[in-house]
Amino acid sequence: MAREEPTALERFINGVLPENPIYRQLLGMCPVLAVTSAMKPAMTMAGATAFVLICANIVISLMRSLLKPHLRILVFTLTIATFVTIADKFLAAYVYEMSKQLGPYVPLIIVNCLIISRCEICASKQSVGVAAADAVGMSLGFALALASIATVREILGSGMWFGLRVLPGSWPGWGIMVLPPGAFLSLGLLLGAAEWVSRKRARTNLWRTVRMLWSWRR
Amino acid sequence: METLTSLILIFIGAALINNFVLHYFVGICPFLGVSRRVDTAFGMGCAVTFVISISALLNWTATYFVLRPGAPLPAWVWQLAGGNPETQIDLSVLSYIIYIFVIASSVQFVEMYVRKFFPSLYRSFGVYLPLITTNCAILFGSLEIMKRLQDPTKLWGLHEALTLAVGGGIGFTIAISLMAGIREELDMADVPAPLKGAGIALIVAGIMAMGFMGFTGVEKGVASAIGALLP
Amino acid sequence: MGETQQKGGYIGQAWLVIVLGLLYGGVLAGVQTTLSGRAADNKKDETYSVIPSLVRGADETKTIELMVEGKNGKEARIYKAIGADAGHKGWVVPAGGQGFADRIELLIGLDPALTALTGLYVLEQRETPALGDRITEAGFRDRFNGKPADQPIVMVKSEPKAENEVRALTGATISSESVSAIVNDALANLREPIGRRAHSAAPGEALRETTG
Repeated sequence: MAREEPTALERFINGVLPENPIYRQLLGMCPVLAVTSAMKPAMTMAGATAFVLICANIVISLMRSLLKPHLRILVFTLTIATFVTIADKFLAAYVYEMSKQLGPYVPLIIVNCLIISRCEICASKQSVGVAAADAVGMSLGFALALASIATVREILGSGMWFGLRVLPGSWPGWGIMVLPPGAFLSLGLLLGAAEWVSRKRARTNLWRTVRMLWSWRR
Repeated sequence: METLTSLILIFIGAALINNFVLHYFVGICPFLGVSRRVDTAFGMGCAVTFVISISALLNWTATYFVLRPGAPLPAWVWQLAGGNPETQIDLSVLSYIIYIFVIASSVQFVEMYVRKFFPSLYRSFGVYLPLITTNCAILFGSLEIMKRLQDPTKLWGLHEALTLAVGGGIGFTIAISLMAGIREELDMADVPAPLKGAGIALIVAGIMAMGFMGFTGVEKGVASAIGALLP
Repeated sequence: MGETQQKGGYIGQAWLVIVLGLLYGGVLAGVQTTLSGRAADNKKDETYSVIPSLVRGADETKTIELMVEGKNGKEARIYKAIGADAGHKGWVVPAGGQGFADRIELLIGLDPALTALTGLYVLEQRETPALGDRITEAGFRDRFNGKPADQPIVMVKSEPKAENEVRALTGATISSESVSAIVNDALANLREPIGRRAHSAAPGEALRETTG
């Protein structure tokens, strides 16, 4: 018997934490490392990715009955590349400063495995509503993950958050955190921390109760 | 002479100083995924170098003649169609779509060609070829070349574009092979459970990135060394 | 559709891709026509908006763009800074080169006679945060003001003694030296051609000038 496809609500919730694209699935690592030296570029990137993901998921879902199996990847790529170009031109026109800073990482959204995997797993099989909920959930999860890394790196690296000073001026600013090595180190440690928390939680009774309630509701 | 120096500097810049993986963070997925053993990692590196060079060649051609602002081919077509020759035609909006298609189709052709004519080569790295289409390093190479073809006063030639691509590919090979070497040893180490897998790999990559930061500034010395060697 | 299905061939398989290609092409053409002008303006504005700070008395709306052939045989874009009173106030020369981490792009302000630097602005850089990236701060850039344009600038680690010496940033000697090297190279390459252009052309003469 075919496994039942998840509903819109489940897709949405799964995207945010249980199947978080970065902490759980390790997808789209390239922008995660490259644009998280501060909150502003990280959130711009999250916005651009969300736009592309939501649009691509909706469009693919609308024409899912027309897709030929062997041409579907071609159609996905075409759709994604088009929306990425739109996002890129839009950023260059209205948020020039950010567009300059993000540089090649906006067009690199095209090869972000997250988007193509959502098109493949969800949008090409389920209705528009579910696909949209899935895209919004995944985008939220992606934005949360980007925000967590950027928060650590910007606060430790420059004592600021969103360009506002949060640590006293005497904070020395760990230069390494805003440099490439800091990206690898903070993501590695955060992945470890997320893994540690979820293992610990899996053992506590509270978490088991919540999960039981959840499965009962289903 | 001056060209040679600039080519060597572009090469060192792409391979070591601004290493594609450890400085620009492109190609992270294979860097973490295919770096468990040195021989597979090296095969992946060779495949990437190969494809990145071919797609750089094709994409440089497409950008130089068709896609860049002020490119000759669309201007010629426009005039042939009776358009005003003063109009600047800019097709760069199509760049990203063209690039990704050039990359996807060149990967397909390379795979078919290598399988047919070089079966031994295919056995060593052919299996990685289909994975490469979604490797950001390839698209990134083409985007870097595109960036150098925007200003008509300082256009990059094909030799410069290819040097960047080959340098980037070799830099990727160096990084992924080193990583695989370290991870083979890490298998024996007692890593804290939550960090096993991607976590520790990223931390190792961070330390490698620190090491590669030591290359910054190296090109000044290289340039003067070349100047001293070749009068 | 009936005909294509009878053929059963490529059209039947690929019509979706073709239709989508045309559709997306149309959408992108629309995006390009509505947004590209704005994006190009942004880029131009960044250069033009700093010209008044590089050349005193210059008016960014009056400034014109010129192409000169440098000594290396390549064409280079320069800006002739004109004041609100239509007088020639100086020159702005874009220049770039390798810095410590990545390329550095600069704008160099010069007086009309090309004898001294009047300002420096960093358009693009990716130097080390908190060390090399201090080349963007006015405290460093202002050290170039009034330095001679006819001899190479030398970076020193102590207080400058000779008039062509500039004090380097502490902890960022290579970034500082990259900046001075870019300035020196650009001036060596372009100073004479610009000078020739300035002398040969009477003020009103048209010289392939493109107004900004």
